Amino acid sequence: MTAPRKTADVKLCDLSQAGALVGDGDVVALGGGLSHREPLALVRELIRQRRRDLRVVGSAHGVDVDLLIGAGCIGAVEQSYVGFEQDFGLAPAYRRAAENGELEIRETCCYTLLQQLRAAEYGLPFIPVRGIIGSDILGLHPEFTEITCPFTGQRLIAVPALSPDVALIHAPLADARGNVHLQRPLVLDERFAFASRTVVISAERITSTDEVAAAGITIPYFLVDAVVHAPFGAHPTSCYPQYTYDRQHLARWIDAAADPDGVRDYLDAYVRPGEDHYLETVGKPALQALGSYTESAERWQELMVSGPAVTERV
Amino acid sequence: MSATKFTLDEWMCVELARTIADGEIVFHGFGSPCAQVAMHVAKRTHAPHMVLVEGATYALDPLPAFIPPTSNDWSLLQGAPHVLRFEELFDLGARGGLDRMFLSGGQIDAHGNTNVSMIGPRDHPKVKLGGGGGGCNLSATVGRLTLWTTGHGSGRRLVERCDFITDMGHRTPAGSRAELGFPGAGPETMITDLGVFDFPDGRARLRRLFPDVGVDAVRAATGFALEVADPLEPMLAPTEAELMAMRAVDPLNVRRSEFGPAELARTFTASGATLS
Repeated sequence: MTAPRKTADVKLCDLSQAGALVGDGDVVALGGGLSHREPLALVRELIRQRRRDLRVVGSAHGVDVDLLIGAGCIGAVEQSYVGFEQDFGLAPAYRRAAENGELEIRETCCYTLLQQLRAAEYGLPFIPVRGIIGSDILGLHPEFTEITCPFTGQRLIAVPALSPDVALIHAPLADARGNVHLQRPLVLDERFAFASRTVVISAERITSTDEVAAAGITIPYFLVDAVVHAPFGAHPTSCYPQYTYDRQHLARWIDAAADPDGVRDYLDAYVRPGEDHYLETVGKPALQALGSYTESAERWQELMVSGPAVTERV
Repeated sequence: MSATKFTLDEWMCVELARTIADGEIVFHGFGSPCAQVAMHVAKRTHAPHMVLVEGATYALDPLPAFIPPTSNDWSLLQGAPHVLRFEELFDLGARGGLDRMFLSGGQIDAHGNTNVSMIGPRDHPKVKLGGGGGGCNLSATVGRLTLWTTGHGSGRRLVERCDFITDMGHRTPAGSRAELGFPGAGPETMITDLGVFDFPDGRARLRRLFPDVGVDAVRAATGFALEVADPLEPMLAPTEAELMAMRAVDPLNVRRSEFGPAELARTFTASGATLS
């Protein structure tokens, strides 16, 4: 039977209760991707609760994984990419930890991860995928096994089903029961919600079931274990339509993360004292400015180049 | 002909755009502004029927007012009639429905294998790169691959052997594409800051040079034995229409973030003269 938690009428809780649903050593699926809708209020709570040895799984991610690594929460990284694209380049904390041998690098590939989640959703123990043979990604995954198709004789790679222990997903809209509305790009959020054992939602706004249903339910309530009201819970990544990403704040992290002392100072200044403190320290004017992208294409462009120059970086 | 001035980054993006045929279904990875800009230039010039799938939003045929410095942003949904699901894009690639994809690398070898994972030994990398996104599945199944790199002149990009193969080219130590059972045709063209390569017999061969570069300079910057087409083809300058399309779609010059100062200083004119 479904855990009673998943069928409760009201699943509202605070960040500390939500964070307690994640255990040391858990496989944690992080929603969103790159600079978009990553579950950062929940990530900051895991740092406050000093989680250890997490194995994070996901597609292409950025500041969420880098923060968790900087805070010493991660033992293994199973993402298809961790970094800041052309914007700020390599992820400083990830890079340092990987180069010092402090992490298990289980780098993966977007489609492989998708198919592993689907195998879990389909109730199958494994699923065959193409590619990977010939790539050194294969050597990072001793569990991946070459098989021969019994019907066509084709060479394929069998990858095991993946059911993350916990999925952390940030949404613009949810109800107290756990119905969730997301807008595209959804990245892997739906797949995480269906394949994971425990699903924790943070949301910009908690509203009536009728309003979520009218907007469109992307994740139905019976998959969800906990709902946290977390305004600006994706900051410094974007949560459209409410706000774009905070490029200046990301630049602050990139600078801080250049060395371990800077990481400690950043965590002490922004993260450790609590989420209310975080939002106060970032400041209301800075947060509200991120919603002004709707004013005009020119304003949107200004927000995209706020902070250090994008161009002419080597 | 008017003495229109343009820069290396613009010319490289135009060369990338010209690898796209009208009607192809094309995808660029995230963090790939040169390929991204090239796709929008192609769509707005010679390839109006190409199906343009954005790299991290999976938006279909958007008309963004600008390319932002991050690729998963709603500004890249503007004007798009539809946004594909993650699953739909990758399933399309897996069943051979994507005609072309763009791949780059911190290292690229003569077979077109690329490394975006790590430089140095696996247990103790000297540089941990970001990772390959979807490449290690898609490079097996996408119809054709266009490769590019902006650091050829540094001497570190085109190498005899990749420290780590993330995405597969024509041949890896495990075998050829046919032996590995890959349905896609693999790398077709590679464009660098020095010139353009094709892959006859699955090995990179220099086919065109930028006019301020000589074959010896390419040989000196290339870590594998350089094969050169005889004769080399001329490199055709960007047209006014191509330059206008590029400047319209990339007013923030995000494509330039892929280049170092020496490359950005290289300026040309349409008459073929090199200005600097």
